[in-house]
Amino acid sequence: MRGNPAVDTTTEMAAEVAAGAPVLPLARPIRRRVRVGVVGIAGVLLLIVLSGVGALAPWIAPYDPDETTGNPFESPSGGHWLGTNDVGRDILSELIYGVRISMTIGFLAAAVSISIGTLVGVVAGYFAGWVDVALMRLVDIVLVIPFLPLMILLAAYLGPSFWNIILVIGVLVWARPARVLRAQVLSLRSLDYIEAARVLGASSGRVLRRHILPGVLSLSLAQFILAASSAILIEASLSFLGLGDPTAKSWGSTLYYAQVRSAFLTGAWKWWVVPPGLMITSAVLGFAFTGFALEEILNPRLRR
Amino acid sequence: MLRFLAGKGVQYALVLLFAITLNFLLPRMMPGSPLLFLVGEDVGFMPAEQRAQIMRAFGLDQPLWRQYVIYLGNLAQGDLGFSYQQGRPIVEIIRNRLPWTLLLVGLSLLLATFVGVAWGLLAAWHRGGPVDFASLAVAMFFESTPSFWLGMIFIATFAAGLGWFPIFGAQTIGIPLSGVAWIADRLRHLALPLATLTLITIPGMFMIMRYAMLTVLGEQYITTARSKGVVERRVMYGHAMRNALLPVATVCMLNLGTIVSGATVIETVFSYPGVGRLLFEAVLARDYPVIQATFFVVTVSVIAMNIIADLLYPVIDPRLRHAR
Repeated sequence: MRGNPAVDTTTEMAAEVAAGAPVLPLARPIRRRVRVGVVGIAGVLLLIVLSGVGALAPWIAPYDPDETTGNPFESPSGGHWLGTNDVGRDILSELIYGVRISMTIGFLAAAVSISIGTLVGVVAGYFAGWVDVALMRLVDIVLVIPFLPLMILLAAYLGPSFWNIILVIGVLVWARPARVLRAQVLSLRSLDYIEAARVLGASSGRVLRRHILPGVLSLSLAQFILAASSAILIEASLSFLGLGDPTAKSWGSTLYYAQVRSAFLTGAWKWWVVPPGLMITSAVLGFAFTGFALEEILNPRLRR
Repeated sequence: MLRFLAGKGVQYALVLLFAITLNFLLPRMMPGSPLLFLVGEDVGFMPAEQRAQIMRAFGLDQPLWRQYVIYLGNLAQGDLGFSYQQGRPIVEIIRNRLPWTLLLVGLSLLLATFVGVAWGLLAAWHRGGPVDFASLAVAMFFESTPSFWLGMIFIATFAAGLGWFPIFGAQTIGIPLSGVAWIADRLRHLALPLATLTLITIPGMFMIMRYAMLTVLGEQYITTARSKGVVERRVMYGHAMRNALLPVATVCMLNLGTIVSGATVIETVFSYPGVGRLLFEAVLARDYPVIQATFFVVTVSVIAMNIIADLLYPVIDPRLRHAR
């Protein structure tokens, strides 16, 4: 693939879009900026509401989600707005507390993956040569491997726990951010002031710390938020497959129990299956919208 | 062209090596006896001599590098290990499962590419307008939806609720069918998992097609075509679309791993007997050899699909055919 410009540009472009950066290069700029703003505000609002619910969970939730407060499989009523699950626990309370688990895992897993991604992207872009070739090879390998089966394999061996899930997601989601950040470093590196710093004898460490890192931090923030959105989705899939932390129920685990107890065969799916899915979707959308808007504003490569 | 294929070949060889080495190391590096992972919980109840026999068969009494050589040798002979829980060779289990997954993934890849490309064209045609904006919103929504959740809703409404489709499985068991009825039965079982997987794959294809179209439409040869009076429709389909299709092919390849991952959860929801469902069953039963073998086979399938796509690439991009 390397060495063929035609293929390289398409790959770069593909990676950019795959990283969640749909753009409107031909739309009129003002209208586009307004739209980016609207999308960004919608995303931030969603995140604020969700974090608020998570932070205030003990005061908002009608019950303790770990306590049996009704009969199993109750339909929605004044006492239980979303009914009860298979062991008589309040589903609404479970969802409200689930915000904490899902969002925390999403955040921490994204932090792990962006730390790796930024390090790899910056080192590869800055040092170029064989370091770059080797690291990008690694990125290509990670991108080809079917990630969910690999995560399942790792999670099965490590055992389902809060930190293991974060680790497993984190070490496998860094490849795309690394690619985007490398491209940014490459364009920064050729700028005159960085050239000047190097000619003046600044060490690599100094150039990286003082000039390159500040230049990519904003973009890695955008990538962080996009990574959080995929981490939440992946966490939901892992929990749904029964590999979630058994002591802390996320939205994915709620759906796992709904699936195991065949909630979709009875009317129970309307309050047991639909709400957790909507919660996951809104969290993912919240992050995706915010990340999309941030990237539009911050990534010079997307501004034409 | 040759360099392109050689570079790709090295990449896939490395992926393969990574998967094999990981599979080899995982049971041996974990705390506790590797037998616990290779054989299962029952190892404690096994007579000592049988345990010793299994130790020898895996070469566990030998140095690590000799074990690796033995492992590679077995793999090269198509030996994926033995499922002590099911009491039969894993190759046999996977041979029954893989076709279902390939059918599901292959068909949905085709469908999603077709729909995604058409949709992307439509959005690019109406670029900046309400159709474009609404398309983006819908695509982003479906990209943010958990696939298994979509599947559960489909089962609840179309299978359990309306009774249009079967609730689980890939075929009706117990009733011998033949001819058209046989095919219809399989298609009816395939419909919902296929629809779910296709629906979550389309947004990616749509985004890339739309983006590629908008980029190509900014090129100078498009301006040239317009200025010599080529009608807009022909500019779009005759000039722009051909070049915009290239990145779509690239993304198809990049997304294969994602699509296969999607299939894993969707097969679980629909109890569709593919390798994804097998993976789930193996996780529930803590059948580690099967989890490993499934991961390996899925990785090999993804690489195989990538190679096919690489070989097809020069067909759609003539520049690659002539490049040295």
